[in-house]
Formats: sequence, structure tokens, C-alpha cells
Amino acid sequence: MKRLLTIALTLALTVALTVPALAGKTLMMATTTSTANTGLLDELIVPQFLKDTGIEIKFVAVGTGKALKMAENCDVDIVLVHAPASEKAYMDKGVLIDRTEVMYNDFVIIGPVADPAGVKGMNVAEALKTIAAKKAPFASRGDNSGTNKKELSLWKAAGMAVPEKDAWYVQTGQGMLPTINIANEKTGYTMTDRGTFIKYADNNGGNPPLVVLVEGDKVLFNQYSALAVNPEHCKDAQYDLAKQYIAWMASPETQKAIGNFKLLGKKLFIPNAK
Amino acid sequence: MSTPVISLNKTRQVFSGRQVLSIDELDINQGDIIGLAGPNGSGKSTLLRILAFLDAPTSGTLSFMGAETSIKPGAVHRQVTLLVQEPYLLKRTVYANVAYGLKVRKKSDITTKVHNALIQVGLDPESFSSRQWYELSGGEAQRVALAARLVLKPKVLLMDEPTASLDTKSAKLIRKAALKARTDNRTSLVVASHDLDWLGKVSDHIIYLEHGSIVETS
Amino acid sequence: MDFLLQGFLKGFALLFTGDPETYSAIWATVGASSLSMFFSLTIGVPLGFFLGHKTFIGKRILRTIVDTLLSFPTVVIGLLVYAFLTRHGPLGGTGLLFSIPGVAIGQTLLGLPIIIAMTANAVEGLDKRLPITLTTLGASPQQILWATVMEARFSIMLAAMAAYGRIVSEVGISMLVGGNIKWHTRTITTAIALETGKGEFAMGIALGIVLLAVALLVNVAATGLKKKAVK
Repeated sequence: MKRLLTIALTLALTVALTVPALAGKTLMMATTTSTANTGLLDELIVPQFLKDTGIEIKFVAVGTGKALKMAENCDVDIVLVHAPASEKAYMDKGVLIDRTEVMYNDFVIIGPVADPAGVKGMNVAEALKTIAAKKAPFASRGDNSGTNKKELSLWKAAGMAVPEKDAWYVQTGQGMLPTINIANEKTGYTMTDRGTFIKYADNNGGNPPLVVLVEGDKVLFNQYSALAVNPEHCKDAQYDLAKQYIAWMASPETQKAIGNFKLLGKKLFIPNAK
Repeated sequence: MSTPVISLNKTRQVFSGRQVLSIDELDINQGDIIGLAGPNGSGKSTLLRILAFLDAPTSGTLSFMGAETSIKPGAVHRQVTLLVQEPYLLKRTVYANVAYGLKVRKKSDITTKVHNALIQVGLDPESFSSRQWYELSGGEAQRVALAARLVLKPKVLLMDEPTASLDTKSAKLIRKAALKARTDNRTSLVVASHDLDWLGKVSDHIIYLEHGSIVETS
Repeated sequence: MDFLLQGFLKGFALLFTGDPETYSAIWATVGASSLSMFFSLTIGVPLGFFLGHKTFIGKRILRTIVDTLLSFPTVVIGLLVYAFLTRHGPLGGTGLLFSIPGVAIGQTLLGLPIIIAMTANAVEGLDKRLPITLTTLGASPQQILWATVMEARFSIMLAAMAAYGRIVSEVGISMLVGGNIKWHTRTITTAIALETGKGEFAMGIALGIVLLAVALLVNVAATGLKKKAVK
């Protein structure tokens, strides 16, 4: 009995203690689930940044709301998100500084191939009005994420109140892929980022049941920015490392690499650091 | 006369407002073997528990070696031990059960002592040592419990109906073991039993209890 | 439906090909659960013993509180621990947030009520003759305590298995306190949550098989322990 306990404790302590001991410089990052799910961080950013600077990025992928909250709580040194309005709010609060636009992609509205509401080719405002009028099922993230905030802003831009209480408006409270799956189950529509749609199409062997119906409208623009946690707000924030990261993201080499990043054979991001 | 090992003075025991025992004076001297007889409910078990320093009397004094002693687990329990009517065995082997008291006292040479104690109660050490607590009959369990107490060579051994689940042959073995304990180690014994015949053969004298009081001594 | 079979086969493939991400997750799970089981038992068994053995004012209330804590949702425990470990929290700056020891703290809170309640039950259910038997055999108060715990050892082992099951399968605490950071705090369960969230159902099943394999190993070891305990 005592021997097993000793083994268990030794095992646990070894794990717990060796891991921090092996770490060199570490940058804590909060980012969004959709960003992480593209693989950009795992496949390009984290390994390349480690190679170029010797700094390891440890990132937590959560909803935008939570990522920004974590910055406010000083649990991270830097955030990589795509919600300009919220970013501004946190900058006004003095939590985040050095906002730097690094890349963008777009959102699209997808729906069944048969397009029962007939919104293909419309601009966003028209499409949403049509969907509402026809009470076509529409799946929303409903989770305060960057994508969710973008979707809510589209309803407002179309001059409508968010259809909170309508039966056809489904708030899933989940990630993008599950939300798309729910939209499909209901033969309905949803708004998604291009990256997740590419993955979704690939999951379905190139022939997904939901296809892009509305795209290209300027309001569907999805701007990614890196923001450093303000060292005046969080005295333990590793501001130097954060600055290094931002500079590196905006550097010509990195920008080129981002532009060349392919998700399942398709280009995903357009670099736009100045 | 030397100091009695255990003394009771004006001892009363009251449970839920009912007086179940009333003894003005009782001395257990070294080497005594005292029998306790009486009908059910006469207070035999109650008296034994007090003598074992497990229950405190409601009033009166209870002394060990002349000094009033409390019932908190302590030195007195290394000298006085009780075998209850249906003894509890620890969830271990027979060997471990008999060895427990010795281990608690950090004694040496345990294997030999356990071996001898088992023989004394008529259990073959070879076949019984590694049996689990649940692999014993009632009579075997009772004898294991007795062995666990004999092996301690206590100053006082108290027994409540020790031959209840035993056949005549085993009862005779227990009588022999009890007498041997007195002869070898000057152990005092107080034994309660319904078997007056057996009690008579083993005791120096017998105390008869009725409604918690001594009515006769012989 | 076919993600079930796919996932089942993939699970074995992950285990036998030594997939590094999978084994990193196994390592994280084993580390966190070992730490939390150790602390749950070393803190919980004495507390459970005390709760079952002694009588005191408020015992019933305390017992009810412990039993209610058995239903504590893991996400809420995760939030509580996060609140303590976050930078501005009372234990902020200890570096425990987003670490395996941090996760272990939360999991200990999960396992403690189980160990305490079941140990208390076990001790209460012990034969009433035990204390006087031990006393009359000459055991000191410490020896009585130890022997009583030993008498309850089978029930305590059961409590340990119950706590282990709850700890190794939880997601809420690992996710919130650990952060699901790849190579560092991504446990098997947070990896399952991630894959399922991405729609990779087969991978989710596969990792589930991996978790069961780990649990099976632990149970085999525990059975060996039980056999020893009967000696």
C-alpha cells in the first residue's frame, strides 16, 4: 500500500516539477477558438517564433470575451483576437495597448445547397432581412465570441433587433463547427469564418450540405489584431516579450508566411500589418 | 495480604435511570480464579466490563493495584483484558489476530508465542494460522479470540461465557488453559458462565449475582 | 455512426504507434490525477475518520454539507479555483494557473467529499465491538485510530476508486484551470472536448478508448492491491 502511494506521488511530483524546470522564456497568449482551430498557431506561429526568438508561446484558446477577460485578470501577456469594438473598449479601460492589425480574413453566410430562403448573391442586410421574414432557421454561436459579436453587429447594421426570442433563431452557446452542424440539422443558415468553413467542407469530402451563399460584403471583413497587456495594469505582464511578438508578427517575413499559410490547400489569411 | 489487583468499593452502575449493579466491596487478588454465576440480566456482563476498565461505574471507586484508575485507553489495559461473549475478530488472518496485542506492545519472538497460544486453545497452528477471519466457525473464532488474550500473559483475564459455543472437549481445553495461565503467570481470572459444572471445576470460589447484587458466595 | 468504429480502431492505433500528442495527454492526465488522488486520500481519510468516529455538535450539519458537495459540478469547482489562482486572486502569482499542479488542486476539491463521505460511512459501519476489542487488547489511542482505519480499508479502497473515476473523467476543472494548452496541460479529457468541439468525433472516441485503457491499468493495479490487503 505504502509502496503504491510512494510511486504515485513520485510520478506526480516528477511531472509537476520537471515541466516548469524545462521551460525557457514563455509568452502567455489568449486567443480565440476559431483562430486556434485554423492551425495557424500550432503549425506556423508557435514553432517559427520559437525558432526565431527562443520564446515559447503558450496559448489558451477560448471565446473572445473570455480571452479579453483573461487579459484583464493579468493571466496572459498578449491577446490575438478579432473583435475591434471590444478591443477598443479594453484599450479605453487601459487594459490593452499597442494594438497592431496583423491579418484579416472574412466571414461568410452559409446555408443549404437548395437555399430555401433564396438569399444567394444578396448583400448581408438583404439576406438577413429575408431570413427573418421567412423565419428560416438560423444558428448563432450565442457565446460572446468574436464571431458571435460580428454576427450580432450584422443584424443591427441591417436595421433589425437581434431576434433573441424568435423560435427560428437558435443560440447554440458552442464553437463554430458544432454550430454549423446544428444549422445543418435544422436545414438552416449560419454565419461562419472562412477558415472554419474550409475545414467543414473538407470534413465532408469537399461536398458539404451547407455552402457559401453570401460573401464579399464589406461588413463581413474579419480583422485580426495582436494587443499587449498593459504593464501598468498588470505589473507582472511580460511586456518586452509581448512587444517582441507584435514586432515579429508585423515583420515582412512573418507576414509573407501568413499569406502563404494554407488550410487544406486553400489560402486563409491576408496579411495587412502596416 | 498484598494489594488486590482490582478493587471495587461501593460501586453502582445505572443505565437509563435503572440500577443494574450494586457491589459494596469486591477484591480480585493475584492468582484468584473467581466464577460469576446468575440468571440473565443479573449484571454479570456489566460487572465484567467495569472490571475490564471499559465502562466507568456511575458511582463508587474502581482501583487497579490500589490506585483509582480511569477507563481511558492506557497502561491498565495492557494488564487487564476481556473476552466478551461473542468476540470480534479483526479483518485479518488468525495469526495476525493473535499477534495484534503483542505487536501493540512491541514484543519480540511473536511467531513462537502465537504458535503456543493456538496450541493451548486446541487449534493446530499449521492449518489455522493463515485462515482469514471469515473462514472460521463460531467456536473456532472464540478460541482464536481467547488465544489472542492468553498470549499477552495479562495480570487479569476476564471471560464472559467462554465455553458458550464449544463442545465438551474444547471446554475442557479452555479450563486447562485458564488454570495454566494462573499457574505459569499468576494471572487472575474472573469468568462468567451458565455452565455451573464447568465453573465449579475451574474457580476457586463462585459469586452469585441477582438483580445486580451479590447474593451468595461459595 | 461510423465514427464509432473508426474511433474505436483509431484509439488502439494511437496507443500502439506511440502518438506523441496522445502520450503527452496521457502524461498530463496521469500527473494531475496522481497528485489529486494522493492529496484527496491523505487529507480525506483522516477527516472522514474524524467525521464518522467522533460525536460533536453540528456533526449532522457537517455530514449533510459533505454529502451535498458530492454533487458539486466540475465547471463550478474550476471557476472557484480559477478565481483563487488568477493574477489578482489570493493565490495569484504562484504560477499555478495553467499548470498541472493547479489542475490537481481543483481535482483534489472534487475527490475530497467522496473520500470523506465514504470513509465516514465506512467508519460508522464498523462493528461496535471494535473499539473495546482494541482497548482491551492494550492498544493506545493512536494504535486504535490506525487499526480502525485498517478495519475500514476495503471501503476506503472503494472510495478511492470512486474518487479516481470522477477525477480522471472530469473536464470542467482541467479546462478552466489548466487551459488545455497543447503539450503542457492538455489532458485526455480536454483533448476529447477540443476534438469534439471541432467536429472530429472519431478522434473523440479514440481518445475515450485511450482514457479507458489508462483506467483499466489503474484498476488492475488496484485489484492487486486488494489481494494484498486481504493477507
